[in-house]
Amino acid sequence: MSEAGFGFEARELRTKAELSERTALLVSRGLTVPEGAGFVLGLYQGERLVATGALVRNVLQGIAVDSGFEGEGAAAAIVSSLIKRAIERDIEQLFLFTTNEEAARFRNLGFSLIAGVPRGAALLEWGSEGIEDYLKALRDVARGKPERAGAVVVNCNPFTLGHRALIEYAASHSPWLYVLVVEEDRSLFPFEVRFKLIREGVADLTNVTVIAGGLYIISSATFPTYFIRPDREEAAQKAIRMHAALDLATFRARIAPALGVAWRFVGTEPFCGTTSVYNETMQLVLPATGTAEATAWGLEAEVPPVEVAEIPRFEIDGEAVSASKVRELIRAGRLAEVERLVPPSTWKWLCGAEAAPVLEKIRHSDSRH
Amino acid sequence: MKAQKSVTAGSLESSDVLITITPLAETRVEYVIDSIVIKQFGARIRKVTEEMAVAANISAARIHVQDRGALECTLRARLETALERSVAC
Repeated sequence: MSEAGFGFEARELRTKAELSERTALLVSRGLTVPEGAGFVLGLYQGERLVATGALVRNVLQGIAVDSGFEGEGAAAAIVSSLIKRAIERDIEQLFLFTTNEEAARFRNLGFSLIAGVPRGAALLEWGSEGIEDYLKALRDVARGKPERAGAVVVNCNPFTLGHRALIEYAASHSPWLYVLVVEEDRSLFPFEVRFKLIREGVADLTNVTVIAGGLYIISSATFPTYFIRPDREEAAQKAIRMHAALDLATFRARIAPALGVAWRFVGTEPFCGTTSVYNETMQLVLPATGTAEATAWGLEAEVPPVEVAEIPRFEIDGEAVSASKVRELIRAGRLAEVERLVPPSTWKWLCGAEAAPVLEKIRHSDSRH
Repeated sequence: MKAQKSVTAGSLESSDVLITITPLAETRVEYVIDSIVIKQFGARIRKVTEEMAVAANISAARIHVQDRGALECTLRARLETALERSVAC
C-alpha cells in the first residue's frame, strides 16, 4: 500500500510528458493551469493519472480529479500528500483557492473557509493557527481606540509624498487610522524597509497605527494575481476581478469588524491596471448594503458596510506622485529627481548604504513591483 | 520532551485520521481536535490523544487531530507514529 492510499501511487510530476498529462486533466475539469512553479504531485493508478495537485509556496493549487475517479477518495489522498510535503518543508499554514461551489468538498477535508464569493472563488485555509489568531491580534491592537476608524492598505514600494498625502488626509478625517502594510515580500523594497519608512514618515501623526498586513490582506493567498504581471487578456482580467472580490470580502467581513473600521481610504490609480480594477471592485464590495447586494459578494447581511473614500493622487507640477514613478526614475539613473517626490525620511534612507543593493536590483529589474 | 520538528502521520482519507504535530516554544501541549463525528466521539478522541501524549512524555507541542472517522486502533497507530517522528532527530 502506498502512502497515498490503497491502489494509488503518488509521485512528483517532473517530465514534460507528465506535466502535459496534468494539463490535460486540469483542462478536462474546466480548470486553468496555475501560474508559478512549485511542487506538482500526481496520483496514479497503474499508468493512469487520476488526480493532481500542486503546492506553490504556501498555496495549494490546481487540484483536479479525473471524472471517472470521483468519490473514490482521490481528492483526499492528493490533499493529504500535499499537506505532508508542506509540513516537511516547515510550511504550517496552507491556503487553497477553489470555486465557491467546490468549497464544501474541501471543508469536509478539514479546511476552513476565509471567504467565498457566490459563482466566484473561495479561499480556504488549513493549519492550527488561522485567521482567528490574526483577528485576535488585531482586536488587541484596536482595544481602547475609537470606533468607526479609518483604514488604508498600502504597499509603499517605497513610501512617497503621495502616500503621505493620502495618510494625512485619511487621518484628519477619522478618529483613528490604521495603516495596513502589505507584508508579502515580493516587492523591490523589502517589507522591513517599507514598514520602517512608513513608520518614520507618519511618526508625527498622533492618531495613526501602522500594522503588518499579515497573510490576509493582499497576500499571495488572498490576491495571487496582484503579484503577477498584468495581462490584457480577458481571462487574466477576470481572474484579477475574482481575486480582488475575495480579498475585499475578507477585509469587510473579517478584518474591518476586528479593528472597528468603518472607512477605507484609497488613492485613485492612474498607472497600474491591476490596482484600478481592485479599486473599482472595492467600490462594489465594501459599501454594499441590502441583503441581495451583500449576499452577491458572499457577505452576511449583518456585516456592517465599509464606506470607501477615493482620494485623487497627490500631484507635483501636474504629475501624480507614485512609487512606480520613483522606481522608474531610479531605473533610469535619475535618482536625484526622486528627492522632491519623497519625504526626508525616505530620501535619507535612499542615500544610505543600506539602499545600495535595493537600488541596484531596481536598475536591473523590470518587475511591476 | 519537546517536539523537535513538524511532522504528520495518517491522511484525510475516509476512515483515517491526519495527525500534525508542530513544535511550541512554551512548555505546554496544545490540542486541536477536529472530527466528522465530534459529537459522538470528540471526548474519546481527546482522551486517547492526551493519554498517548502523556505516555510519550511530550511536554511542548501542538497536536492537531483531524479525524475522518478512524477506528480507535487507527487513531492510536497514527498518534504513535506522529509522536515518535516528532521527537526523532
